[in-house]
Amino acid sequence: MISLSHIMLSIILLSLIFALNSSRLKILITVMFLQGILVSIAPVFLGEEISTTFALFTVITLIVKGILIPLLLMNVLNKVKMKKEIEPIIGYNFSMFIALFIIVISAYLGNEIHFPVGGNLLGITAIATILAGMFLLVSRRKTITQIIGYLMMENGIYLIGITLSTKSRYIVEFGMLLDILVGVMIMVIVLQQINITFHNINSSKLKNLKE
Amino acid sequence: MAELVILIPIIAGIVALLIKKEYGRWLLPITGLIHALIFVFIWTGRVIPLFEGFVMIKPEGLLVLGLTSYLFVMISIYSISYLKEEKMENEKLFVSSMLFFLASMSSVTIANNLIVFWISVEATSLTSAPLIYIHKTKTALEATWKYVLICSVGIALALLGTFLIAIARDKAGLNIDLTFSELEKVAMFLNKDWLRIGFIFVLVGYGTKMGLAPMHTWLPDAHSEAPSPASALLSGALLNTAFLGIFKTSKILHLADIGNFSDVSLIILGLLSTFIAAIFILKQYDYKRMLAYSSIENMGIIAFGIGIGGIAAYGAIFHLIHHSLIKSSLFLSAGNVLMSFKTKLIDKVGNVVKFLPKTAIVLFAGFIGIAGFPPFGLFFSELFIILGAFRKGAYISVTIFIFSLILIFAGFAKYMIKILFGKEEVEPEIGENRWRVYPQYILLITSLVLCYVQFDQISNIMTSAVVIFGGR
Repeated sequence: MISLSHIMLSIILLSLIFALNSSRLKILITVMFLQGILVSIAPVFLGEEISTTFALFTVITLIVKGILIPLLLMNVLNKVKMKKEIEPIIGYNFSMFIALFIIVISAYLGNEIHFPVGGNLLGITAIATILAGMFLLVSRRKTITQIIGYLMMENGIYLIGITLSTKSRYIVEFGMLLDILVGVMIMVIVLQQINITFHNINSSKLKNLKE
Repeated sequence: MAELVILIPIIAGIVALLIKKEYGRWLLPITGLIHALIFVFIWTGRVIPLFEGFVMIKPEGLLVLGLTSYLFVMISIYSISYLKEEKMENEKLFVSSMLFFLASMSSVTIANNLIVFWISVEATSLTSAPLIYIHKTKTALEATWKYVLICSVGIALALLGTFLIAIARDKAGLNIDLTFSELEKVAMFLNKDWLRIGFIFVLVGYGTKMGLAPMHTWLPDAHSEAPSPASALLSGALLNTAFLGIFKTSKILHLADIGNFSDVSLIILGLLSTFIAAIFILKQYDYKRMLAYSSIENMGIIAFGIGIGGIAAYGAIFHLIHHSLIKSSLFLSAGNVLMSFKTKLIDKVGNVVKFLPKTAIVLFAGFIGIAGFPPFGLFFSELFIILGAFRKGAYISVTIFIFSLILIFAGFAKYMIKILFGKEEVEPEIGENRWRVYPQYILLITSLVLCYVQFDQISNIMTSAVVIFGGR
């Protein structure tokens, strides 16, 4: 079981490099599908006791994180006319370098600080995912990539949540999922409205409010 | 069943979506009054929480809940008249969002579980986003986008902080629920390093929501773009609820004997906020933005006061109450000016004294209050904080603090005089209506009364809230 979880976590790590280096939004959203699915089933492979509530909760997480949220993004991508693709502020090659740098930093941090459950790789993956999400947030011009960056961060934080030994009660976790889902829905609605009003979804257009 | 403070606004919000808007708007004051009534029952201990563990009534939460409830009643009275005169396209959405917003804020104030607290804070962002978005103008869209994104990211960091605090518990091998009350009991045993890192993330996360610099960038946009009743609620109530998260976590750190760490962080962020707000207020062109920056300043003052501790912590809580009362009244008055002149630019409005005399009086009184002059409460709270800082020997910080306050007063005075007595460029269209003025008067009078009449019940709550910070 341990080795399987290692493979999964490694795939998540690799997906980060892929996400930061890709120039097409479709690929980025596909990565989010993959990441969402892997992150939501990760607890199963980390040797947690499988009960009915646990199984039910995993399925709900899978539906929300792995299917519903990426589908929302895919949907909005098809609606919004995209003239150019991602439009990075920081170029792809340099982003690739950053991705590797993030992984090295996370490996260092993950080995320094020990998370209670799941071994070092889980910690490393979690930190790397959070950092990569933050990087996406600040380094891309399209508002949709900022949503993806936020989601990536959220995935990383979810991984850290897995390391908690005594899990919080499921009803609470369900509330968290609902919050994130509604949050993304609101972001998507605002994004569509931005597209209608500005004929574009570049965050660089959003500069009317300044001192 | 203390959870009624959450449940009733939610039900009212759903009802508001279903019925005609002419009736729907009356749900605001009705719900507000019921909410206030339940608050009184909770306060007197006649209503107790159903879900112990998730929910618990703490002094600081009770204080913020009462304040929110009171402000909501006043703002809803204003809103009735506001909605009648201002033809809002999406009035139903506005009314129900206001009610949902009230529900989410109430939920923050009574939450005891850290994750429930987090969920509630995130819910306040989600329920208030439509309020900022309501006019659908380009600037409103931009403000909403910034608000939702920046706050979501900030709150995500707060979740990370919450998890790290949970790890601090796990590392210590404690098998307890992740609630503020349980963590306070065992604070001494928690892993201190993890607790410190957790606090930093919580501070940055909820600090974003509270409007502490340098994470404040969403706040002036959101507060200036939202309709005035919503701005009043955002500034008067929402920022306090976000502050609760920092306050409660800081309490745990104090009990774990590493309070110094949280104090220093709070002092730094507090001073930075006051200073940045001072700089931006000096060159402001939009009066609602000016008020928004003043909120950042006041949040900075509160953070600074809590960081200093002792009498200053008591001052900070005092400041929180009076800032909410005065600032909401100012935002509502600014709403009157905006309704009449149809512009937010300071250059274009003027002579409010002549056109809107009642608003002018309350605007001027509010300005005196927010600038920290007697007879209003902020004078005393700032005095407490400065005294506390001197007593602690924090001379450099207190110098920066006083310097910022002077700058803010200078900026405020210049623009307020222009608005009140200066020459106007546009003719006002709508006059004032007494229902859009009375709530502001009541809010300011409340602030005065709370200053000079010592209510034992209220001061007991305040004292017990800050007892860990060395407040009297």
